[in-house]
Amino acid sequence: MNKIKWTILTFAILCSIGSAFATRPQAQFSSLYYWTGSGYAPAGTLGVNYICETSSSVCTYTYSGGVYTPYETSSTYVNLGATTAAKPEPKKDKK
Amino acid sequence: MSKKQVTLECVCALLILLFLYASMSKFLDFKTFIDEMNNQPLPNAWTPFLVWSIPLVEIVISTSLIFEYTRLLGLYASLVVMVIFTVYTGIVLLHFFPYIPCSCGGVIRHLTWSQHLILNLFYIFISVLGIILQQRKSLKPNYINNKHSLV
Repeated sequence: MNKIKWTILTFAILCSIGSAFATRPQAQFSSLYYWTGSGYAPAGTLGVNYICETSSSVCTYTYSGGVYTPYETSSTYVNLGATTAAKPEPKKDKK
Repeated sequence: MSKKQVTLECVCALLILLFLYASMSKFLDFKTFIDEMNNQPLPNAWTPFLVWSIPLVEIVISTSLIFEYTRLLGLYASLVVMVIFTVYTGIVLLHFFPYIPCSCGGVIRHLTWSQHLILNLFYIFISVLGIILQQRKSLKPNYINNKHSLV
């Protein structure tokens, strides 16, 4: 009884760990791009600068060897309008 | 080993397969998981808490399903977690949030929200089945389980 139990459970554990390793992304992309309509532009940070909303389009692309390849598919790039805070201007001395 | 016991082991194996795979794939691509969590229509302030708590809870549930003493607790926990995921999927599909985020994460990322809902409902069903089978097994007096050894 215990033999069957441990065979089933060991199979499940090995399958889950093995498939997690097998399906992990092979390469990490430092930057992603989106299609602006006329060209590609850096996408920014997901959840901060943009979101990928479900659709039949492509949200972001990777760039390698002069080729843009779809990365986040079945979604559309939506700009959140967040920009990095500009450096504060130094105060001008009153004369 | 009776058919019911084999069914119970298969139910636990399927739940372990889901939770362990989900947690491992999150940890193996942690940066993407953080980005995907930020992409969800939840406050980004919750992200540091969620990116650690979700995979850890999944690992704890998987571990508890292995051992006999903690199995019933693990089955209840998996039911609760699957109900939470299903409610969230339902809320997303009913357009309660301002937008529908991409459904990302491991191999499961290729599923649409509707397919996610079906998968979740299936796992709710097998969690309930597991609870029923485990409770029946626990209620059985020991002498029935060990009758062959007594004869």
